[in-house]
Amino acid sequence: MALSMTDFLILLVACSLTILAFRTVPLMVLRGRELPVALSRALGYIPPAAFAALVANDLLSPDMFDAGLWPAAIPLIAALCVIPIAVRTKSLVWSIITGVGVYAVLLFVL
Amino acid sequence: MIPNDFKDSLTAALPIMVGYVFLGVPCGILAQQVGLDALQAFILSMVFYSGAGQFMIPNMWLAASPLTAIIASVTLVNSRQMLYSASLSRFCEGCSKRLSFLFAATVTDESFGVNLAKFDQGSWDVKRATMVNLLSELTWAVSNVIGVLLGSLLNLPTALASFAMTSIFLCLLFSQRATSSNIAAAVVAVLGVFVCKCVGLSGPAIFVGACAGIAAGIVTAWLKGVRA
Repeated sequence: MALSMTDFLILLVACSLTILAFRTVPLMVLRGRELPVALSRALGYIPPAAFAALVANDLLSPDMFDAGLWPAAIPLIAALCVIPIAVRTKSLVWSIITGVGVYAVLLFVL
Repeated sequence: MIPNDFKDSLTAALPIMVGYVFLGVPCGILAQQVGLDALQAFILSMVFYSGAGQFMIPNMWLAASPLTAIIASVTLVNSRQMLYSASLSRFCEGCSKRLSFLFAATVTDESFGVNLAKFDQGSWDVKRATMVNLLSELTWAVSNVIGVLLGSLLNLPTALASFAMTSIFLCLLFSQRATSSNIAAAVVAVLGVFVCKCVGLSGPAIFVGACAGIAAGIVTAWLKGVRA
């Protein structure tokens, strides 16, 4: 299903405005000041929580095994291969190459 | 900007630019699969300029999420930018307002990391850091356009293209410090997403799961504080 021009414009404007505010407001307001400790700690949980939620959203669903074991296992195996690379290299590039590479091999070769 | 400054910025930006080609081409392919053309992808990449967001929008759209859930989820995920913005503010004293704003508006996970390391080494300034941001942004936008153009030729399965982003999220997740509260935040977020999907709330699953995770992180830290 394709995005209509109206849907595209709504997403473009709304998402751009919120990210622009996140990117610019703290810097422009806080130049030279320190964040309250409690607030910066709470904000600090956003990355692990959000990335974990995104990973879970991509990999897990209640009906994931409906089409059989293998279609659900491909992304899980690829993800397990990415983790040691991510931990060791902390490199986005190597993580993509590993993840997409393993995924492609499992999808097309095996 | 003198040529030497530009060379410094290009050297610093190069690994980011390579990463953005790898990421931008599949992102453009995915954008093409929900019907975006080259110009739309270019505008989205230059104005919105969010790798995570630009993968989430087509993915959530293909998963039939309502627009409000997409905007809310993208906004929640991008809220981490506040941290980068807050932590970069100390380098912008004595900079013009206009340059500070341009610098702040073009920060990403990757350019934040590279520029922060450069600032901490000393001998770095907001001008060169902004040039790193702009070089990365332009590379991202051009790669997205290439992806859109390739996408109409190649028929790459969406699941495979979007796994580039799953890989990115895995990398970002496992680059977090393994403190007990971070682990609690991540585990509860995963459970939250799964529970949401089980009860039929797949649209806001990311948003709700992440909020549950943030709460779990705060509670874990508080319990540790109480015990200590």
